[in-house]
Amino acid sequence: MLRRNIRMRREYLYRKSLEGKERLLYEKKRKIREALQEGKPIPTELRNEEAALRREIDLEDENTAVPRTHIDDEYAHTAEKDPKILLTTSRDPSAPLQQFVKELSYVFPNAQRMNRGGQVISEIIESCRAHDYTDVVLVHEHRGVPDGLIVCHLPYGPTAYFGLLNVVTRHEIKDKKAIGTMPEAYPHLIFDNFSTKLGERTANILKYLFPVPKPDTKRIVTFSNQSDYVSFRHHIYEKHGGPKSIELKEIGPRFELRLYQIKLGTVDQAEAQIEWVIRPYMNTSKKRKFLGD
Amino acid sequence: MADSKDAGEEALRRLIATFQPSFLAPNPALSETSRAASRHLFSALRPFCPKSPLDQLLIDGFDAEQIWQQIDLQSQPLLSSLRRQVKHFAKNPEEISKLKVVPLGKKVEKEQREDWVEESDGFDEELEDDEEGEGKGGEEGMDIEDEDEEQGRESDNEEESEGEDEEEKGEDGEAGDGGIEDKFLKIDELAKYLEKEEENFEKAEEDTRGKKGADDEENTEDDDDDDEEEEEEEEESDEVSVLLGMLSLDLAAKMQQGTWKMQGMDLFYGVFLTLEHCGWDEQFILLLRYEDFFGDKGKYSKKMKAQLHQESEGSDEEDDDMKFKKQNKGTASTHQKQLEKIHSKIEEMEKANLEPKTWTMQGEVTAAKRPKNSALEVDLDFEHNVRPAPVITEEVTASIEDMIKKRITEGNFNDVQKAPKLPSKVPREVKELDDNKSKKGLAEIYEQEYVEKEDPTSAPLSFRDEQKQQASVLFKKLGLKLDALAHFSFAPKPVIEDMSVQINVPALAMEEIAPVAVSDAAMLAPEEVFEGKGDIKEETELTKEERKRRRANKKRRFKAAAVKRMGKKVQEGALPNQMNG
Repeated sequence: MLRRNIRMRREYLYRKSLEGKERLLYEKKRKIREALQEGKPIPTELRNEEAALRREIDLEDENTAVPRTHIDDEYAHTAEKDPKILLTTSRDPSAPLQQFVKELSYVFPNAQRMNRGGQVISEIIESCRAHDYTDVVLVHEHRGVPDGLIVCHLPYGPTAYFGLLNVVTRHEIKDKKAIGTMPEAYPHLIFDNFSTKLGERTANILKYLFPVPKPDTKRIVTFSNQSDYVSFRHHIYEKHGGPKSIELKEIGPRFELRLYQIKLGTVDQAEAQIEWVIRPYMNTSKKRKFLGD
Repeated sequence: MADSKDAGEEALRRLIATFQPSFLAPNPALSETSRAASRHLFSALRPFCPKSPLDQLLIDGFDAEQIWQQIDLQSQPLLSSLRRQVKHFAKNPEEISKLKVVPLGKKVEKEQREDWVEESDGFDEELEDDEEGEGKGGEEGMDIEDEDEEQGRESDNEEESEGEDEEEKGEDGEAGDGGIEDKFLKIDELAKYLEKEEENFEKAEEDTRGKKGADDEENTEDDDDDDEEEEEEEEESDEVSVLLGMLSLDLAAKMQQGTWKMQGMDLFYGVFLTLEHCGWDEQFILLLRYEDFFGDKGKYSKKMKAQLHQESEGSDEEDDDMKFKKQNKGTASTHQKQLEKIHSKIEEMEKANLEPKTWTMQGEVTAAKRPKNSALEVDLDFEHNVRPAPVITEEVTASIEDMIKKRITEGNFNDVQKAPKLPSKVPREVKELDDNKSKKGLAEIYEQEYVEKEDPTSAPLSFRDEQKQQASVLFKKLGLKLDALAHFSFAPKPVIEDMSVQINVPALAMEEIAPVAVSDAAMLAPEEVFEGKGDIKEETELTKEERKRRRANKKRRFKAAAVKRMGKKVQEGALPNQMNG
């Protein structure tokens, strides 16, 4: 098992390194395809390889035409398998943090909450990989207020680090009757204003925490991006009068997420490659928006 | 006119008489009095301001700010004209003597007055910041200041002492519309005094050449324009204020001698109070002259200088400047004046560089290294390069919910999509019937089938589709590589049981050259031909017993066979047995 894991990790890294070459090949094929379609002469640099490449083009189907990146590899099996999430906290959590994690375990379908105890992170990751979990979510706090969220995708997947702000938990709403119980249907997802590449990547990381929903569910989970602060909202809707009358009822916790790092490895890999990290001390960082628009 | 004047003076007097601390609390009566007093002074000064738009200070219904602004309106042009005058006198000191000669010239008087007024202006500006600037709108405070100041200066311009503080922010009442000379001020005395002062100064210069020079200029009366100016130039562009600063220092020194630890304004105030306390009449106090305080001019200047020495910082440049100015008193051109200014600035900056910097300029400063609560006074402004966290207001929530509703009505969600399933069955190949005559003969077809049956791998590629052919070629290559992975150790071919007739033909027959329709494979194997059992031995290999046994077996068999023959013969009939015997 150990050796298998090591071998698979090496394969993953190797395929990541091949991406450059594959992209080159893809570009060449694309150029030839265009030239053929438009009836233009093939660009001169491709003349030698043109015959071989053209045969390959003919043999391609839609799966093989687009080069696969390591990102696709990370999330290759998501469509076939439902995600399985493990939720846990930092060490020695306070009572409000435990309540918050309990709420989160209801938000993500097929999520399991675990007490942290004295476990080391690498142990947790190993056991999750062995038990076929797809994601691990860690929640950190500051004096009772949750302030950090780490989403780690499991087979050596990417890890996203978020900061939490403006957290309002269900426990703070004292009136239990008003808020009712939390439905457990698989929710629809809304991602608003994730227009850059980094935004797409973040949206994917958050999206694959959820399984494929039924088309007629009434539960909506929203991630709305406004100048790099992502608002999380959780609603149930009802259509009363037929056309265009939709009533939203907010359930579930509400918080703002602020992405500050994405690493191409799991949480326990301290030396993993950093895909993106926030740079707040740059003079232009006030003007730039990274997640979209 | 006289009536109002009197009223004004009365107001002034009352102001002076009030107990100082009562100014700290808002008092409408006091405010009224001070307003009246300022109006009086304003109108007294009005004749000297050619361009003043206001004839009278408007106080009804105006608040402190507005009154100040009116005063400013009058005083600013006045100040500049006074300065011009003073500068002019600085350049041409001989004109001052000329002034003295002309008696009762209103203009002269005015000039002199204006000098003092100017000085007091500067003094006011200087002191304002220090003391009673705060509290009730400086008016009353200013009045007091000026009062005290006057005493301090003992100017002989108190011809009508009584609160004629000609120095009230410049709008000071020129109460003196009488002759410039009165029982206090005599022009001759003025001239003598000036000369005396100059001598003293030069003496002092020699005395204190070694030490950092003090300026007995400070001691001199404001009458000495030149000196004042020189001092002024040292310190600030506002020449007059410097002198007055010096004067206050003077008084400070004096008071310190007498263990009065106050400074500046406080001293005057203190002096005033004590004197009053001692029973002096107001008017008397105001009539005090400089000389009463600083008795013998000559002696005193030196003492004062020595004291000021200790107090004043950086009187170096002052000294140098003084000397320099003294030398070029007659030829101080604009350029030289500029040079002097620059020099003084340079010296200031050099001095500042030598001292340790203020804590705000010192890089990383912990709380221990700066004075207590000093961070509260500094205007700390940091540029935050991070957009602050959004405050979640009603509008924000409403906008998010609107967006959600819109998405719901459209049905536009970003859900995870199920992957398209790979086809589970190979798509059936549609065979096309080819109704051309087959090119191969029947025999060839049979041959091919036979060969395929025997050895599947050697079958020629008979694919209709070019692509299939290419695919199969590729697959063969792949298959070879995979076999190489398994080191070419295949699993054995499965045996197919097949029933066929085996002919027992002698081997010799097989070796005939003539074509036969039967192959070797169809022959019976020797073990199938063999009849017998056990171990076969030749006759030569037999042992004796075995020979005997075989013979015995043979005999027995022969006999058994013979009996059977006999039986048969008997059965057949009579046999000619007579023949035998």
